[in-house]
Amino acid sequence: MTRIRLLFCAILIGFPTVSQAESPIDFDRDIKPILSDNCYHCHGPDSESREAELRLDQKDSVFSERDGYWIVQPGNLGESELIARLVTSDPDELMPPAESGKELTAEQIELMRRWVAAGAPWKEHWSFVPPTRPQLSNLEHLEGARNEIDYFIAQRLATAGLKSEPMADRRTLVRRLHLDLTGLPPTAEQVEKFLADNREDAYERLVEELLASPHFGERMTVAWLDQARYADTNGFSIDGGRHMWLWRDWVIHAYNGNMPFDQFVIEQLAGDLLPNATTDQLVATGFNRNHMITHEGGTIPAENLANYASDRVRTTAEVFLGLTMGCAQCHDHKYDPLTQRDYYRFLAYFNTLEDKGLDGNSGVNSVPKTQATSILGRDQIEARQLRRQLQVLEQQQQLPLGSQAAWEEQARREIAELGQDLVLVPAEVINVSSPNRISEFELRDDGTLFLKNGGGRSPSITAKITQENVTGLRLVFYPDPSFERGGLGYGKKEGLEGSFLLTSMSVSATVAEQVDLYEMIDIRSATATASHPDHPAVDCLTPTDTEGWSPGTGVTTPQSITFQFQRPIHASETPYLTVMLVWGGGRSLQGGKCRIFTLSGNDDQSNIPLEVREILEVSPDQRTPQQGERLRSYHVSVAPERANLRYQIANLKERLETLTGKYDVMVMNTAKKPRKTHILNRGQYDQPGEEVTAGVPAGLPQPPPGLPDNRLGLAQWLVAPDHPLTSRVAVNRLWQLFFGRGIVATSADFGSQGAPPTHPELLDWLAREFVDSGWDVKHVVKTMVMSAAYRQSSVTSPEKLEADPYNQWLSRGPRFRLEAEFVRDSVLQVSGLLANRIGGPSVRPYQPPNLWREISHYGSSPATAQVFVQDHGERLYRRSMYTYWKRTVPPPSMISFDAPSRETCSMQRERTNTPLQALVMLNDPQFVEASRKFAERILHSSSETDARIRFAFEQALARPPSNEELEIVRQTLQQELQRFREDPAAAAEYLEYGESDRDPDLAVEEHAAWTTVATLIFNLSEMITKG
Amino acid sequence: MMNDMHTRRQFLASGKHLLGGAALACLQGESAFAATGARVPAPHFAPRAKRVIYLHMVGGPSQMDLFDYKPQMNDWYDKDLPESIRKGQRLTTMTSGQARFPIAPSKYRFRQAGQCGLWMNHELLPRLSEKADEICWMRSLHTEAINHEPAILAMQTGNQVAGRPCLGSWASYGLGAINENLPAFVVLVAIPSNRDQEQAISSRLWGAGYLSGEHAGVSFRSKGDPILYINNPPGVSSAMRRRSIDGINALNEINYRHLGDPSTHTRMQQYELAFRMQASVPELTDFASESAHTFELYGEAAKKPGTFANSVLMARRLAERGVRFVQIYHNNWDHHSNVSGRMPSQCQDVDQPCYALLEDLKQRGMLDDTLVIWGGEFGRTIYSQGQLSMTNYGRDHHPRCFSMWMAGGGAKGGTIYGETDDFSYNIVKDPVHIRDFHATILHLLGFDHERFSYRFQGLDQRLTGVLPARVIPELLA
Repeated sequence: MTRIRLLFCAILIGFPTVSQAESPIDFDRDIKPILSDNCYHCHGPDSESREAELRLDQKDSVFSERDGYWIVQPGNLGESELIARLVTSDPDELMPPAESGKELTAEQIELMRRWVAAGAPWKEHWSFVPPTRPQLSNLEHLEGARNEIDYFIAQRLATAGLKSEPMADRRTLVRRLHLDLTGLPPTAEQVEKFLADNREDAYERLVEELLASPHFGERMTVAWLDQARYADTNGFSIDGGRHMWLWRDWVIHAYNGNMPFDQFVIEQLAGDLLPNATTDQLVATGFNRNHMITHEGGTIPAENLANYASDRVRTTAEVFLGLTMGCAQCHDHKYDPLTQRDYYRFLAYFNTLEDKGLDGNSGVNSVPKTQATSILGRDQIEARQLRRQLQVLEQQQQLPLGSQAAWEEQARREIAELGQDLVLVPAEVINVSSPNRISEFELRDDGTLFLKNGGGRSPSITAKITQENVTGLRLVFYPDPSFERGGLGYGKKEGLEGSFLLTSMSVSATVAEQVDLYEMIDIRSATATASHPDHPAVDCLTPTDTEGWSPGTGVTTPQSITFQFQRPIHASETPYLTVMLVWGGGRSLQGGKCRIFTLSGNDDQSNIPLEVREILEVSPDQRTPQQGERLRSYHVSVAPERANLRYQIANLKERLETLTGKYDVMVMNTAKKPRKTHILNRGQYDQPGEEVTAGVPAGLPQPPPGLPDNRLGLAQWLVAPDHPLTSRVAVNRLWQLFFGRGIVATSADFGSQGAPPTHPELLDWLAREFVDSGWDVKHVVKTMVMSAAYRQSSVTSPEKLEADPYNQWLSRGPRFRLEAEFVRDSVLQVSGLLANRIGGPSVRPYQPPNLWREISHYGSSPATAQVFVQDHGERLYRRSMYTYWKRTVPPPSMISFDAPSRETCSMQRERTNTPLQALVMLNDPQFVEASRKFAERILHSSSETDARIRFAFEQALARPPSNEELEIVRQTLQQELQRFREDPAAAAEYLEYGESDRDPDLAVEEHAAWTTVATLIFNLSEMITKG
Repeated sequence: MMNDMHTRRQFLASGKHLLGGAALACLQGESAFAATGARVPAPHFAPRAKRVIYLHMVGGPSQMDLFDYKPQMNDWYDKDLPESIRKGQRLTTMTSGQARFPIAPSKYRFRQAGQCGLWMNHELLPRLSEKADEICWMRSLHTEAINHEPAILAMQTGNQVAGRPCLGSWASYGLGAINENLPAFVVLVAIPSNRDQEQAISSRLWGAGYLSGEHAGVSFRSKGDPILYINNPPGVSSAMRRRSIDGINALNEINYRHLGDPSTHTRMQQYELAFRMQASVPELTDFASESAHTFELYGEAAKKPGTFANSVLMARRLAERGVRFVQIYHNNWDHHSNVSGRMPSQCQDVDQPCYALLEDLKQRGMLDDTLVIWGGEFGRTIYSQGQLSMTNYGRDHHPRCFSMWMAGGGAKGGTIYGETDDFSYNIVKDPVHIRDFHATILHLLGFDHERFSYRFQGLDQRLTGVLPARVIPELLA
């Protein structure tokens, strides 16, 4: 196969084998885990659960003499009570006691014995001691080594009796690098360029090039969003929307600009406290406002605030210190030197802002917050491009269409038939209700429904119908003297005084308190008698919060809106309708008095403006140039074949706005009267004990004098050059990104119970290198991917799989499935659909209908993000890190691929392999559409089958197919081609999936058959694996 | 159906022969945690229940209107709740500002049911009362949480803070799947006939937390795709899908020959499983094979997709096909006001279907090893929230005591466990903390709750957490 054939440089790293049994005892690796696992629960840091006043986590206590005996006497097994208690036959004396459920294995006891016999060397817990740069002097001429990393890897490989693999071929390497550094596969052109680069430093140049790509920042930000528990909604209960994307833009920008990590930490934890803090530094502090919040009625604000502060503690401690400080919320930590007092002193740093316990409803960010522009738009480069692009697109949009004559014909017919056979029958309202709200409605004798001010929220109206063949329904709104300005509703907003804004109407042919989401009648069109220019009837067709129909202010005559159904219903089959009306303006722009009619026959209203109708009546050769122009411009504004162009124009306009306008974002601050912090008994918010001031945990190295006692001091302490944890935790997380698992496998726990590092010296070397380079993230990333360890082939032999199943010794190259986001991004890129814009507000690509609405408070709450409204155009194809993240209903395809829920800080993702993933890859419209578009690319690439297949492989997998593979794909193609020729209707149906335009010049059967080929390739394990 | 009678462990065992140890690890989730101490547990003793059907009543049903009979309260109508009973315990902010806490006696008729003699609401739960002697009644559950979100989380995951695995995920982790063509843990969200007091519920409640993602509940939807993305795109037939998967797997096999990555083989198996799942779901969701007798038993509502009756019948079909844990959520029990307007339809939604489920499982010989659980996340207050009249009242959240029931699966029928004071405000005998409840359920599933753990962030994490919890022997058959 190609990847083997293209091997251009073989390196082998080898050391003489040393067996594990002969190796000297390593306290961190061999002894500490035994003590921690089995003893610390009762003989560790927690004073409350401590037995016999004995601590085995402190040196003094372990080597102490007690009442004439020694716990451990170094070198003397017989005089060491600890050993005696492990091997005694007296069940009352045996440790750990039977009821603890813990038991040492014979090997563990032997290790303990060997340790004592060898003089019981004791070390402070490794991660609490500052890292020092290990010496490499005696290892200078290691064959095949690329940099220092390889010396440390080689040592361990030798100990394990393993050898590394030769360097992977260049196609594998270019794909690996692209996926790792940008989260996107290389294009075939990028692969060719690398293969053609014969310079000695071609690989390094590629690394440099990718580190400079704006997608590097995106890729790094994906991991940071997990740690920072970023989301677009508040999370608890009603789970309303929030706006934090400016903070996300800040993170992308920071990574792309290679902001030194110490600054990255300081600005996110305490940017607001820096002298002369800039707005961007303030935006950075959004890091600790990303946690979930609630505005659920009935919750207790003080309890909520305590929860928020606790989340900031847990997150900050896990992300920067790698410590599970959350364990000390209710009691002293059982394994690490973190007391409950430490916990609340740490919490005091995050308890002084002026946040509120119930806040953040109605899509309005909770305080404290600020207004800012995106840091990504400052250079104006994209804005200038957008303005140019918009000009071009708007011209394109105005070009006349060949379909105009046919449309005119149809429009004339429609107008001629307006109102034909129209029968309107009033529906008898039998019930009105409103979820979560005491309803205030009145059914009047004249058949109208009177909705009292503010009492109605969004009414669900059940009505009995009597008509057969109902093709639509009409809502008529009446004026009333009690309304503002004698108008049609209760609106107070400028422009809508005395009017209303109807944002959506949904209807099911059922009798129930609420509309049945699963029986909703599809609506074909909406027309109105009169509309405010910004609020046309068609805006009622999607359930957005902001857009809808309004007759506008100053209207004092009855006005109606008519909805036409996709399919008629019949009173004899379904005698009831339940109609839900949703009002805009956070439900305040409410209508007041209305009546419902069912109708059959043709609507007598049309959305075609009067003057256009008049022009339509004039025969084409009689029209004035102005009339011809008006007709053309109207037609192009409604023609379905221009829909995607219109979406694109709207998308670009909005993009321009987000790059230049000011938006809201939550930040940290310090209240004028900061809250006091108390130790909470058992962590209960209502059981405050002793008051404490801010401070770092007593068991960790203390800050140098002179640092302030606030978040800024905390941040400066974290990034002090000798801090034992921050640099190690940070480089470990970077390592995890590229090698699949951390040097410390438990990347959120560097404490006693965490996994000891597989390569402690390497970890320390990287940590020192990181700090000494000025916390240079790109430098450390480059160092990792330049190593021979990284560049190895990932070919896995059965022997290695047995000896090193998790590849913890790096006996082969890293190989694992892509993150959820990159699975989708890869497919989008290869299909040609990917819209490669950096940053900005979140977008809403395809998802199954009603997932949000099923569980939301749509219509009854002013909270936003209660109903999913899908985007169109390029916003369907943005990178997955920009997909709107609703915490209670995260995007299902992302969750299938192990994206965390973003409820709490998450430091490492799982990589499961499940049937649900196969279903997403095969059936999610996003992936099916991508196959269709990839097929178009393939078909345009060549006219010859084998060349097309080669093109497909090279674009998707960065390599040509083997003959065997070619044959399988050819066979698939022939089978499906034949089948689609037999059933062209199926082919057409298949190709209709997804909103992107289809190239009409491609034969349907052939396009469909190649779409299955594209699906085949997208579904290969190789496609979604970095290898 | 293939593999019908294979347990997951057997499935893995056969896979082990084929794939070797690391591939096995991949099958179980190719997790970085795996090396740090995760392992597939084995039951600690023979399980009494092989499956669980958990009916969660979202919002918190009021115990004194259903199962916790307090006739003494009739003399207390509109009198203030004595401070000696309230003892300064915290209230939600929805009623903490009320000037008075007037007692609202239940307006419903109670009657003793079965040999066990439980006094229960006979007016609204006539059918369930016929099953009184097969049900294990618990009237002394208690929790710390006072609002829905933390309370449901505590009930389902043992912790008020999000991010822990739920009971169903623990069951999936511990017991695995019986039928590999279906998920081990399925969630059904039933639509109550009245929805005016619904609480938000979300996938957080069936999340796998720190357990491998494969143990998360799979939500079966009553409309649209029963499982998201289960249906082929338009124009794609099952035969074509079969051919595609054959092609995908043939190409994957070539890749495996070159690179030897066991996860490639695992993925090939997942595609086969996906195909079989696609094949088995239509049969599962097609109720046409159910007899007239079934619909007589469950009621007409069982024919309507999404109803509680329909969901319960689906739960039985899932259980029959080897799904380990079915969780049904039934909403709208949050009766802050208008108990008399809301309680009847809530009870009507669940009364006959609960009876039917127990009866149906019994007739099919499945009740003995299927544990059925019914209950909410907390109870409600004896005092009225808002307006009180002889015929109507509202009730606020009350975590200090509430009622639940279990049946089948090793739960002891006819037991009445726990007592509350005359005000159904405090527990006076045999308290059952939700941790005890969880420990007892795990016991019935064959696990010692103290040893049933998962290593995460350096700790052996347990459903019952670090605070004391105990199995309640009186509840076991």
